[in-house]
Amino acid sequence: MRRSTSWHCSMGLLALFVALVPDRFVASSVARADDLDELQEKTIKTAVRKIAPCVVQIETQGGTELVATGPGRPGGPPGIRLGTGPTTGLIVHADGYVISSAFNFANKPQAIHVRVPGHKEAYVAEIVANDQTRMLTLLKLVGLSGKLPVPVAVPKSEMLIGQTSLAVGRTLIGQVEQMPSVSVGIVSALHRIWGKAIQTDAKVSPTNYGGPLVDLNGRVQGVLVPASPRTEGETAGFEWYDSGIGFAIPLEDVNRVLPRMLKGTAKEVVTLKRGLLGITMPQQQGQDEHSAPTKIASLAPGSAAEKRGLKVGDVIKEIDGKPIDNQAQLKQIMGPKYDSDTVVLKVQRDKEELKFELKLEGVVASYPQPFLGILPLRDDPEAGVEVRFVYPGSPADKGGVKAGDRLTKIGRAMPPAPVRMTPIANRDQLMDMLETAVPGLELSFEVKRAGGKKTETLKIKLGETPDTVPTKTELPEKSSAKKALTKPKGVGPKPPEPPKKDDKKEPKKAELGLLKRTTAAADHTYWIYVPENYDPNVAHAVLVWLHPPGKNKEKDIEKFCESWQLRYSCEDYHLILVCPKAESDLGGWTRSESEFVQEAVKAVTDTYTVDRRRIIAHGMDQGGEMAFSLGFRSRGLFRGVATTGAALTGNVRDKTNGQPLSFFLIVGDKDPLLDAVKESNGKLKEKKYPVIYREIKNMGRQYIDGRTGIDTLEEVARWIDSLDRM
Amino acid sequence: MKRLRSLLALSILAPIFAATATTARGEESFTQICEKVNPKLVKLFGAGGFRGLASYGSGAIVSPDGYILTVNSHILDTQDLRVHLSDGTPYHAKVVAIEPELDVALVKIGDNKNKVEDLPYFDVVEAAKRPPVEPGTGVLAFSNQFQIATRDEPMSIQRGVVASYSKLAGRIGIFEATYKGDVYVVDAITNNPGAGGGALTTRKGELLALIGKELRNELTNTWINYAIPVSARITVSQADGNPATVSILDILEKKEKYKALTPPKKNEGPGVYTGIILVADPVERTPPFIEDIVPGSPADNAKLQADDLIVYVDGILVGDIHAYNDVLSRYHPNQTVKLEIQRDRKLQTISLKLDKPKTKKAPDKK
Repeated sequence: MRRSTSWHCSMGLLALFVALVPDRFVASSVARADDLDELQEKTIKTAVRKIAPCVVQIETQGGTELVATGPGRPGGPPGIRLGTGPTTGLIVHADGYVISSAFNFANKPQAIHVRVPGHKEAYVAEIVANDQTRMLTLLKLVGLSGKLPVPVAVPKSEMLIGQTSLAVGRTLIGQVEQMPSVSVGIVSALHRIWGKAIQTDAKVSPTNYGGPLVDLNGRVQGVLVPASPRTEGETAGFEWYDSGIGFAIPLEDVNRVLPRMLKGTAKEVVTLKRGLLGITMPQQQGQDEHSAPTKIASLAPGSAAEKRGLKVGDVIKEIDGKPIDNQAQLKQIMGPKYDSDTVVLKVQRDKEELKFELKLEGVVASYPQPFLGILPLRDDPEAGVEVRFVYPGSPADKGGVKAGDRLTKIGRAMPPAPVRMTPIANRDQLMDMLETAVPGLELSFEVKRAGGKKTETLKIKLGETPDTVPTKTELPEKSSAKKALTKPKGVGPKPPEPPKKDDKKEPKKAELGLLKRTTAAADHTYWIYVPENYDPNVAHAVLVWLHPPGKNKEKDIEKFCESWQLRYSCEDYHLILVCPKAESDLGGWTRSESEFVQEAVKAVTDTYTVDRRRIIAHGMDQGGEMAFSLGFRSRGLFRGVATTGAALTGNVRDKTNGQPLSFFLIVGDKDPLLDAVKESNGKLKEKKYPVIYREIKNMGRQYIDGRTGIDTLEEVARWIDSLDRM
Repeated sequence: MKRLRSLLALSILAPIFAATATTARGEESFTQICEKVNPKLVKLFGAGGFRGLASYGSGAIVSPDGYILTVNSHILDTQDLRVHLSDGTPYHAKVVAIEPELDVALVKIGDNKNKVEDLPYFDVVEAAKRPPVEPGTGVLAFSNQFQIATRDEPMSIQRGVVASYSKLAGRIGIFEATYKGDVYVVDAITNNPGAGGGALTTRKGELLALIGKELRNELTNTWINYAIPVSARITVSQADGNPATVSILDILEKKEKYKALTPPKKNEGPGVYTGIILVADPVERTPPFIEDIVPGSPADNAKLQADDLIVYVDGILVGDIHAYNDVLSRYHPNQTVKLEIQRDRKLQTISLKLDKPKTKKAPDKK
C-alpha cells in the first residue's frame, strides 16, 4: 500500500521519540523533545529550499488602481486596491512557463516582468492562458526555453487531511536568491470549492497567492489562490487572507490541463472555461441545492445536453459512475469539469434508464429572447390567452393577431409531418413554451376572434424581443380580468399562478399603504407600500428598491415611495413596492444581505396577490450593483433589473433558459459612470439579454427626480407592466 | 543558574510523567519557557482610548534596574505612562529615548527614591549578537494584544514561524512606519492592538525582535505581522548631509543621553536632469513609458529611445510614473544609475549619468 511520504516522515519522527521514552535521564529527554521540534524545523527548511528554485517573483507595471468586486464590501471604495509589490509564480514547464493566481493580474497590468532564481536578469513575461474555473494565469517568459526546473506534484490520491503544508511566496523577499517566505500549516480539507481546491490553515494572502503549497518533501500539493465557494472572479475569497482559511488548486489538476494552456500565445490567449451541460434545475420554494432533485427543467438550445438528446423531465441519477440524488452532488462532480471534458450521464426517463456520453461546452450559445409580439390579459381563469395588446410591427401583428383575440392552441410546423396543435392552458404555460423556443421558429396558433364567433389558424414566425416599451397611449388600461382568485379552467402541466389562497377561511383584510416590517428573526427591517386600490383579484407587480448607500432612513424610503405613488402611479399600474434597508449606514449593501431581500419579497408574495413574472430589482448607485447581483443570482425570483447610475461589476452571467431576465439601464449624461454603464449595456446585449438603455440629459449622480427624468420613470413603470410580454 | 535549576526541578517531577506521551514532554518544556519569559515582559498603559487607538501596549525589560524597550507609538505621548510588571506591581514610567528611524523607544521605571532592582531581563547585548534566524524557524510571540491580560496575568502567547527576514524598505511607499531596515515577518497574526513592543522569541525563549505596530503593507495592501530585530542597525543620511549609523544597542548604552537622528525632510534632494520626457499620466499607475528624449541630453547620450518602458532603476521596480519620480528624487547630479528598460519584448540595461537640474523644478514631467 502506498502512503504519502510525509506520512512516512512523521511516522519516523514518532518512532524516534518512542525510542527515547525509556530514557531515564528525563532532563535529556526534554532536550530531545526540543530536538523533535528542531527536526521538524529542519525538514521544513529543507522542503522550502528544495522548491525555492521553482518559485519566481513577478513584478508588474501600470494597471488600474482599483479592482471592482461588486456588493460585499462593507464601506470603503468601490473595489479593492491591489498592492504595488511583487507577487509569486510557480514554474510548471522547463520552456519558461509560470503558473500564477489570476488575482495577481486582476488590475490588468501593462507590463509583466519575472525574476527567476539563479538568473541574473529579469525576463519580460506575457499572459498566454487563463483558467477561468480555477482563476489561474499562465505566463510565458520571453526568450527562455528548456532550462527551468519543474516541481514534482503530490498525487491527489496521496493527500490526506492533517498532512503538513507549507505556503511559499516571494512577495516579501527583496532578492529572488533569498529563501522564499513560508507559512506552516496543515491540509485542513480536500475537495473544497466544488471539488476544485485543497484547503489549508497555513496563512495564505497576497504575499503568496500564485506560489506553491508544499509538503515536507518539497513536492507541490497545489497553487495558492484566493477562492470562495459562493462567488467567482479573480478577487473572490480575498477577504479571508491570513485567516487560516486558504486554498490551493492541486498541481496534478493544473498539469492535466497544461497541454491545452501551453498552446496559448500573447496574441491568442487560451481561455479554459467551465464545462457546461446546458441544463437548468430550478429549486422550488423550501428547497435548497442539497434537497432539490436533479430533474431537468430546461435545456439550452444547441447545448451539449440538448444535442445528445436529453429531455426536459429527465432525472440525472449518475455522473461518471457516481450516483447522485441532489443538485449539490451534481455541482460537486461538475464543478471541476472543463469545457471539452467528457462525462457519462445515467438518466431516468419515465421508467427507463438511459446512458448518455456528453462532451461539455464552455459557453451555452445565447439566443435573443424569442418574441411573439403580444401582451396577455392577466388574471384570466378562462382557457387560452386573451390578447391585451399587439406590438405594432411584431410577428403577431404581421401574422394577423388582434387585441381581444384569444389564443387557444399552439402547434409547431414540422414539415412534412402535419402540425400537431396542443391546447394553451393559460399565460404562464404559453410563456414557458415560448421561452424555450428560438427566434425564427415558425408556429401555428388557433385564434378565437373577439366576440367568440370565428376561429382561425395563423402562422407566425417568432422574432426577437425588442428594446422598446409600449407608449402610454398604446397601452390598454385594462390589464387584468380581475379573477386571480378564481380557479382556472384551462388544464396545464403547471399549476397556475398566483398560488391559491385558502378559500375557506375568511380572508384577512390586507393592510394597505406604507408599512414597516421586520424579518422573522427580527434582524432586518424593510418597508412595503401597497396601493390603496389593492384588489386581491389582481396580480400585482413588485418593485424591490435597493437604496443607494446611506439612504436607509425611514424618511428616505418615504420620499421614494411617495414619488412612485404620486408620479408613477402604483395604483394605475398595480405595483407593490418593497424597500429593504441595508444595515450599514454608510457602506451600502453587502452580498450576504441578498438572502434577507429575498425573504422580504417572499413575505410579500405570501401575503398579497403577486404576479411572479413581474418582480423586479431596482437600485441606484451601489444599490444598483446589488440589483444586478440579485438579478443574476436569484433568477427564480427576479425577472427584471432596473438600475440608475450603476454599472456591472463582474462578468455577465449566461442567460438561463426558462428564467428570462430583462434590464432597464438609466444613467445621467453627466454621471462619471456614464462610460461604465454604456459598457454594461454592451455586455448585456452581447449575451442577448433584452436591455433598454436610457441616458438622461443634464443629470449627474442622483436619483431621477421630478424634473429631468419623469418620463423615463414612467417608462420603467410601463416596462414593468409589460414584462409578461411574449 | 536559573536554567539549570529549572531543569533540576523538572528531573524531580519527571518520573511521575514518565509514561505520558511526547506532547506532554514538549508542553513541559514549553511551560518552563513561558514561565521564564513572562517575568521579562510588562504591560504598558498610556495615551489613546479614542478613535480606535488602543491606550495599552507591551514592553520588554532590558536591564535589572528597570529599563524597558518598546515600540515608538502614540501611547508614549502622555505624562501618565504606567507599567505593570508580570507580578502585577504597578509603576509610573518615563520615556527615556525615542528613535523614530528605528521605531523603538526606551522607557524607565523607578528612580532614586523608589529604586527598582534585580528584575528579570532580556540580555539584549547577547541577543543582538545572534545571527538572524531563517524563514521556517519556529517562534513565539508574547504580547498583551487586546489587553486580554490584566495585572499579574501572563501575556498572550502565539506560536508561528518566521515567514521571512528581509528588507522590506528600499521599495516605494512600503511602510507608513519610518523604520526601513530588516524585519521579521511571522505567520502568527500579531497585527493587533497592544501587541506592539511585545517579544518575539525563539522556541527556547531567546529574544529575537520587538513586535511591531499595526501596519498595512503597501506591497500587498494587507495587514502585516512584523517584528523589529533587536540587532536592528541602520544608516541614515542626516540633514547635514553626513550619514549616521544607529542601533538599538546604542540607545541602551546611551540611555538618557541618547539623541535621536535628524534626517532631512522628504524631497529636499537637489534633483537631477535626465532629458527623459515621459508620457502624460492622466490616471494613477501609468507606467513610465518614454515619450521623447531631449537631443543632446544624458538620456540621448545613453541611447534611450521613445517608447522604451523604464522597468527598474538600480534594481528597484518603478511600477508607475509616480514611483519613478520618487526613486529618481533620491539621486544627486553626477551619479550614474542603472536603468533596465523594456524594448522589443526584452529587457536591456542602460547606464545613465545624471546631470544638474536645468530649472528649479524636476524636469522629468512635462
